[in-house]
Amino acid sequence: METLGSLLLIALGAALIHNFVLSYFVGICPFIGVSRRVDLAFSMGCAVTFVVCVAATLSWTLTTFLLKPFGLGILTYISYIVVIAASVQFVELYIRKAHPPLYKSFGVYLPLITTNCAILFTCLEISKNTLLVSSAEAWGLHQALALALGGGAGFTLAIVLMSGLRQELEFCDVPKAFQGIPIVLIVAGVLALAFMGFTGSDQGLANAFRAGEVQVSALAEGVTP
Amino acid sequence: MTLLLSGGLMLGLGSGVALLLGWADRAFRVRVDMRIRKVLELLPGANCGGCGYTGCGEYAEAVAKGESPADQCPVGGPRTADAVARCLGLASEAAFPRKAILHCNTRNETRQRQASYAGAPHCLTAHLVAGVQDCVYGCLGFGDCAKACPFDALILENGVAHINYAHCTGCGACAEVCPRSLLEIIPFKGDSMPVVSCANPDKGPDVRGVCSHGCIGCRACPRKLDCFKMNDSLARIDYSLFNPATDEQGLAAAELCCPMNGIRRAGKPGRNDE
Repeated sequence: METLGSLLLIALGAALIHNFVLSYFVGICPFIGVSRRVDLAFSMGCAVTFVVCVAATLSWTLTTFLLKPFGLGILTYISYIVVIAASVQFVELYIRKAHPPLYKSFGVYLPLITTNCAILFTCLEISKNTLLVSSAEAWGLHQALALALGGGAGFTLAIVLMSGLRQELEFCDVPKAFQGIPIVLIVAGVLALAFMGFTGSDQGLANAFRAGEVQVSALAEGVTP
Repeated sequence: MTLLLSGGLMLGLGSGVALLLGWADRAFRVRVDMRIRKVLELLPGANCGGCGYTGCGEYAEAVAKGESPADQCPVGGPRTADAVARCLGLASEAAFPRKAILHCNTRNETRQRQASYAGAPHCLTAHLVAGVQDCVYGCLGFGDCAKACPFDALILENGVAHINYAHCTGCGACAEVCPRSLLEIIPFKGDSMPVVSCANPDKGPDVRGVCSHGCIGCRACPRKLDCFKMNDSLARIDYSLFNPATDEQGLAAAELCCPMNGIRRAGKPGRNDE
């Protein structure tokens, strides 16, 4: 299972097929709050991707080396929150000292997404795949990171798409009752419907990857003798 | 057993994290000017950008560094300026509250138009189309300014913005969005300030052709009061020369002699205000 194909499948799945925002509806507050302008939305997406990767690494380590060996599955939520909040705080302190310009453009987003539901969701998804399965099937760090990167990219994609739509929406004649957040939620719903088109394609992709692997291994066998 | 283990783990995790953050706070400390925080506490925190900086934080930094005077905050007005100046040990100058005025006096019933406009109801888009308002300098009446006002001080009434001077803080958000630059932020030296309610610099006959009450450039008002200046064929008030204590008589004379009834009082209701 530990092939490039399976990693790609996890990342693609998190980015498109099970998009955090548009199919699990996590991370809605930054999605609605910071999607007014494309550039700000992109910064927000990058910040979320970064924090998700940090959180995934830490929660995977915590789960694999502490929670699983001692059978402390009940502690997932509370320990994740402690670790993520602390690490984000640490990163913020470090950036403020070492890279002031970066802190100015990026630091404001960090406290906003400290224990955002999208981040906690990624950690719980990772814990589901390490804690609740046998050791042979448990995810490695690379799989956890693939999920985090894919999920972050999917979030960035969703929020940038949304901010582009909202910039166009500024010039539309929206009925009074729908002005502001209501029309944004409706647009988000339509966007989510569009993303439903990806549903089920993960199975097809998995089959395609498996077929590809079989072909590659057959070729390799064919070449070696 | 699980109870002990989980308690121990959380305790260990918590203290580990606390130690790490405590160390990081010490190691990565950034020295910040205490005065910046003090000034920031005195500012209103509306982050409206009326001072010309992106937010209260940046303005506080600029004031503390001495790059900007202490009286630039339009929302806080003189009281804040005074408090900030005292906090930094600067001499406080008398600052007038700054408020917006509108340089057009058209109404729905007086607005002359050649075409009916059915596009997006924004001044910004209507400004691009000819014929929405015959006077190409005049108020379009879609209320972009009212929508931009963060303090609900502008109300669109009868196709023109009315300014509620009790709410106006002079942040300039309205002046920024008006595509015809009809709004100006001026120092309110008295309860009410005179306004030339026209922005059309064309010659008299041209103005008469598109508007029943625009400034025709007759040069009557500068003869009555010095602070009126002619700008091509348009009268304007130089507010730095205006002194409400001594100019009242001259102002009343100027108001009376204006053939177009175009000098209004903004602030308290004046003679030409309905």
